[in-house]
Amino acid sequence: MQDTVATPYFRATFREWILTTDHKKIGILYGLTSLLFFAVAGLMGLVIRLELTAPGVQYVNPDLYNYLLTGHGAVMLLWWAIAFWGAFSNFLIPIMIGAKDVAFPRLNQLSYWFFFSASVLVLITLIPSQQIKMMWTGYPPFVLHNNAGPTGIYVLIIILIAGSTLGTGVNFITTLLRMRAKGVTLGNSNLMVHGLMSSIVVQLVGVPAFVGAVIMLFLDKHLGTGFFSPETGGDPVLYQHLFWFYSHPAVYVMILPAFGVFSEVLSTMSQKPVYGQKSMIWAIWAIAALGFLVWAHHMFTVGMPHWLRMFMSFTTVLIAVPTGIKLFNWVATLHKGAIRLNTAMLFTLGGIFMFLIGGLTGIPLALPAFDINVHDSAFVVGHFHYVLGMAMTLGAFSGVYFWYPKITGRMFPEGLGKTSFWLMMIGANLLYFTMMMAGIEGLPRRYVDYPDIANWASLNELSTIGAFILAAGVLVSFIAWIRGLKGPEAGSDPWGSPSLEWTTTSPPPPHNFLSFPVEVADDWTPYRYTDDSSEKS
Amino acid sequence: MLTLAAMGAETAAKVVPLAYPGHLWDQMFDIWITLAVVIYLIVAVPMVYFLFRYRYKKGENEKGATDEHGNIGLEVLWTVVPLIVVLYLAIQSAAFYTQQRTPPPDSMVVKTSGMMWAWEFEYSNGKKSINELWVPVGKPIKLELMSKDVIHAFHIPAAKTMEDAVPGRVNQMWFQFNETGEYPSFCREYCGTAHAYMRSTIKVVTQAEFDQWVNPS
Repeated sequence: MQDTVATPYFRATFREWILTTDHKKIGILYGLTSLLFFAVAGLMGLVIRLELTAPGVQYVNPDLYNYLLTGHGAVMLLWWAIAFWGAFSNFLIPIMIGAKDVAFPRLNQLSYWFFFSASVLVLITLIPSQQIKMMWTGYPPFVLHNNAGPTGIYVLIIILIAGSTLGTGVNFITTLLRMRAKGVTLGNSNLMVHGLMSSIVVQLVGVPAFVGAVIMLFLDKHLGTGFFSPETGGDPVLYQHLFWFYSHPAVYVMILPAFGVFSEVLSTMSQKPVYGQKSMIWAIWAIAALGFLVWAHHMFTVGMPHWLRMFMSFTTVLIAVPTGIKLFNWVATLHKGAIRLNTAMLFTLGGIFMFLIGGLTGIPLALPAFDINVHDSAFVVGHFHYVLGMAMTLGAFSGVYFWYPKITGRMFPEGLGKTSFWLMMIGANLLYFTMMMAGIEGLPRRYVDYPDIANWASLNELSTIGAFILAAGVLVSFIAWIRGLKGPEAGSDPWGSPSLEWTTTSPPPPHNFLSFPVEVADDWTPYRYTDDSSEKS
Repeated sequence: MLTLAAMGAETAAKVVPLAYPGHLWDQMFDIWITLAVVIYLIVAVPMVYFLFRYRYKKGENEKGATDEHGNIGLEVLWTVVPLIVVLYLAIQSAAFYTQQRTPPPDSMVVKTSGMMWAWEFEYSNGKKSINELWVPVGKPIKLELMSKDVIHAFHIPAAKTMEDAVPGRVNQMWFQFNETGEYPSFCREYCGTAHAYMRSTIKVVTQAEFDQWVNPS
């Protein structure tokens, strides 16, 4: 077992990959698994878009369409928007805080293989008789109905995912609290560390509610209990409360690490400290905490008590405040910087622009007076694709481009990266802006077919064109990452950053640093770009 | 001048929205879109300007300013102003929402049941119809929403309002059409294979036609 840690991952054999407890190898395993499923769910999304191009049912029948919607939603959220950050947490957190590995490497290994097992179960749902058609939300009593397909497999998938998540949570929180190098504190560590850690804490607190809810679904369906079915005294709305109690904070699990990437890349590529670093840290944790008090804004039309609706409306709009602080601080970081518009920076700037639009279109959804007309419409779908779809994905891609030299030791082709960025940016805006417009015009979500009224048909056609441009952009990035493996050597610090991961070799040695103990000065910050670090202003 | 003012008042009086409470949603939309565009510009314009102004230049601009770490005044400003803006929005929404959800006392009640995959409407005299909701023009209608199987939702795009039909509960919504005609309604909560076809038609007719239909003598 020791060998599997001692060998650098770029020379590791297949057996070592399977048995590894090295956080960097496990990080790469998460990343590759996640990218594979991102591609699968993306193709599902393309088929959905193709079907919606024109009114009528052309390519897939309604049941297959409903399966594709379920698969696209669940896989994009769990395997991409959440799991891909698992790759970053594993690879970066120990290095950024100057540690050799995580606190419990074996537990970390177990977490990955739980995740892997869940991945295999997801592939089983591709078999036609096993297709689940319950949407990723899995609302009862529909789920208890035969029309929803074999939903037990979904419950099993969530349980395995939860095992992975909870193990990761305990592991990384311990790592952050106990294994920081001398001089690295919670106050001066990277914003990426805070972004990833806040999302891990949210998962640890929230996932048990979600798992509890789906286990109750399973008991209702297969053992005849009556938690959620009204005939036996249950209440379907109870499930929605339990489900959204985690699944709303889950959106912060997906976006907070992207905020971390934005801060790292903006600061490094402007060669200027992050503006208001302390308030940025507070804002991250404020969003994570407030995120637990807003879940019922997904349920404004379900018929709940008026006071609860109003309470959740106010708490939801309050989230705009720490979010605004982050946006303004990012803009201020650019002021008087020395800005390099390379691929990683473009993806970050694009991600911030998409987040700005996604945030501004999210505010009205927190207002019941607005939500009453656009709830479950294409507007909602467009909005969350701006935030979770694009701000998160552009952030993740920016992170891949930014740390690519560190992970592989090589430089990717910049030209392909930039091409990919512009294709994705143009495609995504065409796709999701028209989708939001269709929603304002009344187009419901989760419809396989729609009548040709208002501008629904023409907006859907533009959306589909955008989807294919976006897909082409993603493909170009994949090509850039593969070709980069044979690119020129990157050196240990290609971007000029004092953050700890850039002080070690690229790729890092088996225990991350060449000499121990790792130590930094008391006034160290990962964002000081003066050439001589002893020179103090 | 006076004639102009009178004409203005006349047109204003004539502008009765197609359906209530859709006019409130329109107002909420206008308030939001105005603020959103302003906020977008406040963030995006400086950002794009800085990108051009502070570009990396070899030998000239290689390092960013080292003396800018934050400014308490600015940070308070961009905490307090957004706070006021969003609180205003939430209060405005609460005021509108109360009207959007409170049916006028003279509303006509129609019991509305969702099922996979159709809507059934039942009137006070026991008359039932499937997928056709007949209502008199100019009369507020209160729907009592129920479900016979899974969760559905009744959305009327023209009246810009909706509510879920949840089994085991009775939810309510209201609307009023001010012009006769036929308007579509859609199921807005995913309910399986034929979810996309769970539509019905709202037939808005004169009171006389409605009486004739609901009580054929």
